[in-house]
Amino acid sequence: MSQKTRVSGIPSHSVKVTARPNNSFLNKLYLPAIAQGVKVTFKHLWTNVNDTNAIDVLEYPEEQPTDITDRYRGLHRLTHRADGSEACVACFMCATACPSNCIFIEAEERKDGLDEKQPKSFFIDTLECVFCGYCVEACPCDAIRMDTGIFSLTGSKREDFVMDKEKLLSHKGAFAEEISCARH
Amino acid sequence: MSTAAIIVALVTFVLGALLALLTIPVLVWLERRVASLIQDRLGPNRTNIGGFRFGGVVQSFADVVKLLLKEEYYPSHIKNGKWLFMFAPIITFAAALLAFMAIPFADTIIINGQALRMSPLPIDFGVFWYLAIGAVGVLGIIFGGWLSHNKYALLGAARAASMVVSYELPLGLSIVSFIIAYNTVDFNAMVVFQSGVFFGAIPAWGIFIQPLASIILIVALFAETNRNPFTVAEGESEIVAGFMTEHTAMKFAMYFMGEYVAMNTASAVIITMIFGGYNLPWVSTQMILENFETFALSLMVAVPLIITTLILWMRKNNRVRPTVSTDAGRNFETKVLTIVMISMALFVESILIYLAFIGQDALMQNIAVTLFQIVVFVIKLMMFNIFFIIIRWTVPRFRYDQVQKLGWYYLLPLALLNIFITAIIVVGAGL
Repeated sequence: MSQKTRVSGIPSHSVKVTARPNNSFLNKLYLPAIAQGVKVTFKHLWTNVNDTNAIDVLEYPEEQPTDITDRYRGLHRLTHRADGSEACVACFMCATACPSNCIFIEAEERKDGLDEKQPKSFFIDTLECVFCGYCVEACPCDAIRMDTGIFSLTGSKREDFVMDKEKLLSHKGAFAEEISCARH
Repeated sequence: MSTAAIIVALVTFVLGALLALLTIPVLVWLERRVASLIQDRLGPNRTNIGGFRFGGVVQSFADVVKLLLKEEYYPSHIKNGKWLFMFAPIITFAAALLAFMAIPFADTIIINGQALRMSPLPIDFGVFWYLAIGAVGVLGIIFGGWLSHNKYALLGAARAASMVVSYELPLGLSIVSFIIAYNTVDFNAMVVFQSGVFFGAIPAWGIFIQPLASIILIVALFAETNRNPFTVAEGESEIVAGFMTEHTAMKFAMYFMGEYVAMNTASAVIITMIFGGYNLPWVSTQMILENFETFALSLMVAVPLIITTLILWMRKNNRVRPTVSTDAGRNFETKVLTIVMISMALFVESILIYLAFIGQDALMQNIAVTLFQIVVFVIKLMMFNIFFIIIRWTVPRFRYDQVQKLGWYYLLPLALLNIFITAIIVVGAGL
C-alpha cells in the first residue's frame, strides 16, 4: 500500500522496478541457503582441523616474513660514502621535510675535510615517526635510507626507540645498495 | 533422605555446576578456535602452563585473570539505579545458569528401589522451569541497557525487548506441540520417549516426530540466546556494543559468560527435546541394562578406536612446522597426553571387563550406564555448541524488524498450524 502512494505522483514509465532474482518458495525458505553456507564453512573447518600445519599462516615470530621487497620502508639508517666516511652533510632537509617533526639534528664543522658540515648529533624518535619516507626523498646526499628491512622494533622503555647517530650508522642495508649513491 | 539420595544430589549438583561453569572457558576457546579454523587462521594456540597448551584452552583462563584484575570502572553519569546497573549482568547470568539445572544428564537411577533423578533440580516440570527462568535472562539485558543512560545501550535494550516480542511466542508454541507429542512436561520422560522407535526403524527423536516444531524451536532458541543471526541487541556496526556499552571488567564478563551459559543451556534443551538427550539412537536405558554384556563388549571395541583416532590426530597436529626451529614442548605434551589417554582407556576397559564378566553387580552396572549416558550427553552438548558456533560464522545478522517479521509472519502461524496438526493426529489416532 505504501509503495503505491509513494509513486502515485511519478509517471509510471519513470519508475524502475527491479524484479527480485529467484523469488521461488525454496529461496524464500532461507534454510537451504543456510545449509549451503554451513557446508562451505564446515568444509573449511574440517580440512583445517585435520591438518592444522597446512593452514597458510605465518607462525610469527618463529617464522619470519620472506616477502619484504626492496621498496619496503623499514627502519632508517644513515649511509656511508665509498671511502667509509658518513654521507650526511647536516643540511636539515630531512628534518624540514619530516611531517611529524621527529628528526633532531645538530650540525658542526666537518673534521675530515671532505665536506663543510657534518651532524654532531642525529636523533630520530621512531615513536613519533610515521614511516612516510619523505626524509629519504628530501635527502640530497642519499645519506638517509629506509632499506634496512627491519619492520619490528622493540624496547622496554621510551628511550630505546630514540635512534642516535651511531645506531643509525650501524644499520646495514638489507638490499643491494649498501653505500650512498650520491656524488661527493 | 537415604545416603544414596544425598550422594546422587551432590554429584548431580557438582556435575551441573561443572557443566555450566567449566564449559564457559572451553566454549570461549572453542568459539575462537572454530572461528579461526573456518576462516583459515589458527586462533589462540600459544598460552601454556609448563608446555601444556591443550590446544590453547589455557588462553581462556588467562583472560579470566585479566578481567578480574581490570579496573572497576563505574560511569559517573549514572545517578539513579546504580545497584540495578550492577545487578543486571548477574540476572542474565543467573537465569541462564538456573535454567540449565533442570536438564537431566542421565536416566533416573534406581538405587535400593528408590528412583533418583540425575539432574541438579529433581523436578518433573522441567519444561515449565526452563520457559519461566530462561525468559528472565532478557530482563537483565533490558535493565542493564536502560540504566546505562546511554543512547547506544538504550537502543540495544529496546532491540532486546523487540526480540522478546518476536521469539517468545513461537518458542512457547513449538514447545506446546512437543508437550502434546510426548504427553509430558518432564525433560527426562521426553528423553525416555525418544529412546524408542516409530515406523519400525526411525529413532523417535523430536526432529523426526516434529520436524516443523524442531526447526521453530531451534530458530527461537538461537534468538533467545542472542546468538547470530539474531545478535541485534549488540549490533556493533550500528550501536557500539549495545546494552553492554557501559559495562566494564567483571560486569562485562558476567554478560559475556551469561551468553555462553545461555548457549550451553539452549544446546542442552535442544538435544534433550529433539535429539534424544543422553541416549544413543535406538538404544534405551532398559535395553542397555538388560544386555549389559553386549553393551560392555561394544564399548570395549569403541573406546580403543576413539582413543587411537585421537592419538593419531594429536601426533599429526600437535607439532610445529619443519621450518620452525623451536618445538616449545609440544612433543613432550603429545607424549604425556598419549600415556594419559592410553591409561584411561585401559582403566575403562578393565572396569567394563570386571562389571560384565567377573563381578556382575546390578547397582554397579547401573552406575556404569549412568556414567556412559553422562558422557554421551556431554559429547552431544559439545557437538551442538559447535553447531551454534558454525552458524554464527556462516549466517549474517538479521535486522531487528526482519526478526520481528520472521517471528510474527512465519514462525507464529507455522507453530499454531503445527499444534493443530499434532493435536488432530494425537487425538484422531488415539495415541
